[in-house]
Amino acid sequence: MKDMFSKERWKYLFYTVSHPSDGFYWIRHQERGSIGIAILLVVLYGVVFSMNRIYASFVVNDIEPRTVNSVAELAGVLILYLVLCVGNWSVTCLMEGEGRFKDILIAVGYSMLPMVVGTVLATIVSQGVAENEEAFYSIIMGLGTAYTVIMMLIGIMQVHNYTLGKTLTTLFLTVVAMFIIIFLALLVFNFITQVYSFFRSIYTELVFRV
Amino acid sequence: MRMRKCFPRTLCLAAVLCLIASCAWANDSLPYDCYNYDYWNNILYTPAPYVPDGSISGATLEWQGQPLGAFRMPQDLCVSPEGNVYIADTGNNRIVVLSGDLKTVLQVITDFDANGKKETFSSPYGVAVSQNEQLYVADSQNHRIVVLELDGSFVKYVQDPKSEVLDEKFVFTPLKVSVDYADRVYCVAQNMFQGIMVFTAEGDFTGFFGTISVKISLWEKFWRKVSTKEERSKQQLFIPTEFTGIDVDDEGYVYTSNKDTDGIQAVRRLNPKGEDVIRKGAKENLGGDRVFGTVGNYSGPSQIVDVVYRDHGIYSLLDARRGRVFTYDHEGNLLYIFGGIGTQEGTFRVPAAIEHLGSRLIVLDSQQANVCIFSETEYGRLINQAVSLRYDGDESQAVPLWQEVLRLDENNELANSGIGKAYLSAGDNEKALTYLRRGMNRAYYSVAFKRWRNEMLAGNISWILTLVVVLVILLMVWKRVLKPRLAAARTAKGGRTA
Repeated sequence: MKDMFSKERWKYLFYTVSHPSDGFYWIRHQERGSIGIAILLVVLYGVVFSMNRIYASFVVNDIEPRTVNSVAELAGVLILYLVLCVGNWSVTCLMEGEGRFKDILIAVGYSMLPMVVGTVLATIVSQGVAENEEAFYSIIMGLGTAYTVIMMLIGIMQVHNYTLGKTLTTLFLTVVAMFIIIFLALLVFNFITQVYSFFRSIYTELVFRV
Repeated sequence: MRMRKCFPRTLCLAAVLCLIASCAWANDSLPYDCYNYDYWNNILYTPAPYVPDGSISGATLEWQGQPLGAFRMPQDLCVSPEGNVYIADTGNNRIVVLSGDLKTVLQVITDFDANGKKETFSSPYGVAVSQNEQLYVADSQNHRIVVLELDGSFVKYVQDPKSEVLDEKFVFTPLKVSVDYADRVYCVAQNMFQGIMVFTAEGDFTGFFGTISVKISLWEKFWRKVSTKEERSKQQLFIPTEFTGIDVDDEGYVYTSNKDTDGIQAVRRLNPKGEDVIRKGAKENLGGDRVFGTVGNYSGPSQIVDVVYRDHGIYSLLDARRGRVFTYDHEGNLLYIFGGIGTQEGTFRVPAAIEHLGSRLIVLDSQQANVCIFSETEYGRLINQAVSLRYDGDESQAVPLWQEVLRLDENNELANSGIGKAYLSAGDNEKALTYLRRGMNRAYYSVAFKRWRNEMLAGNISWILTLVVVLVILLMVWKRVLKPRLAAARTAKGGRTA
């Protein structure tokens, strides 16, 4: 646990951000990454996401504050992260991907850093922009997101030792896998609810009759 | 802290509410809800802008010592420049003229003498009085518009439109009629989807006006492409929406209401060329209710059946679906909403037409065959006046009125934004920011924000620059002097190098 958040790990996070190709390669082959930091970054993104929705200045913010539910949004981000990683892992397992589940978690998690920084910066900058200057805000947001996407792409490529074409194919299949996972999850959830209500009605019946 | 701050305000509000309750209708005894939509389309209940003030049915009136008799399916009413009310009593084939207080019958027109021939009406559906004091009656089943002097003497017919654009089998059945200052006649005719029919003062048909183009979505186009001719013939026709009501303002602009199945735009303001020049407001919505159910009773978009142009750019729409009256200003802001379907006094069953009578609004109900009268409350009066002042360009004078509105209805976005604008022009940028934010007025908020930002920068630029210079010097000292020394000291000690 202590090793997960050691100074070396933190330094390596920033090395990965500045040298994604190299960084992710050694995460796979030399255990330089840290799951703790990766999950922390995802949690951080969940928090920052809600924060942006509430605190971004009135000029750029069209979101009704009453609809912002930070707990649900955090849970949503985490579930999406988990589903993405599971989906990617289940696809790459079958497509000669070299990465382990752990590596995928780290690759995706580390990629969130630019988006976290971008969102925070944009939220701060938004406090100083007026109408017709929204571009500053959206450029910062856009850059953060673009960097995250690029990092994620390189991360998955390096972790699995894929070519770019194969990465894109697996990413597409990952999305399909994610939909299947969500569908199955909903199915199971629905099924459990039905079973639960069945037993519950038996119980009520017994209570009323016996 | 916030709680304590709020306390006197709530107390104040309660006091005001008590005052209103004691002298007029309390909101909870009204037969309908009064509300408005906020920026996010949440429904916010407001104090009543208009309250029921009695109703008139034919049975309660007398004419020449005899009871007038109940109206039957009356379809239209209008107010003459003198202030008399003309009701098209469609089912009884007569026009009833009431005085402005709606208590005495001035005249009942059942027939007229057309060049020596006695003529009657057959289902007179629409009625209008021109600025030149002539009465126009859309005599629907006789397929003509009858023009009379106000005393009932015959002037002319407007009938039998001739044009290449009209189908040979077309039968002219006028439903609603309106007249502008130059005596041009605008007419909504049955089964006429090409637009409003326009006639010259001489009664010649000149063409259509304000045609609403049909909107076909890409998806519908696709299906039409793939379907066969036979299938296509069975499909629903794409027909432009129907116009339902007309009113002409003092400058000659024609306000028309129409059925809109999307609930986006149910009113148009047509310039003399027939182009729609209405302003749709920040939400781009002039369709009545912005939020509505999709199944069950009272669902679907508002069905606007009539429009009345009032003063200073204010106009009201009448919704037959849920019996509401929607009032907008010239910028397309929704000012207030009231009314409902029901059987109590002040509610409607099938509302057909709306007019304004001074500060009062009157609504004709064809099913109940009566005229509902609504009088302005303090709240309604304040909004009307403040909006009128803005229309006339005296926005600063409107501030005390908006402040009163805020006292009655804290959430009123127009009031907040009006006060904010006043603070902005007075130079109090910080207060302007607060109020414009509450009024959800981005454009003016930005103006205030830019000014506030410049002020802040101008006021603090000296110490900001000083701070920057100091920081730069410190950084240089650290890099050039301290850091090498520290490193040197470390290596001398035999420790790790950084």
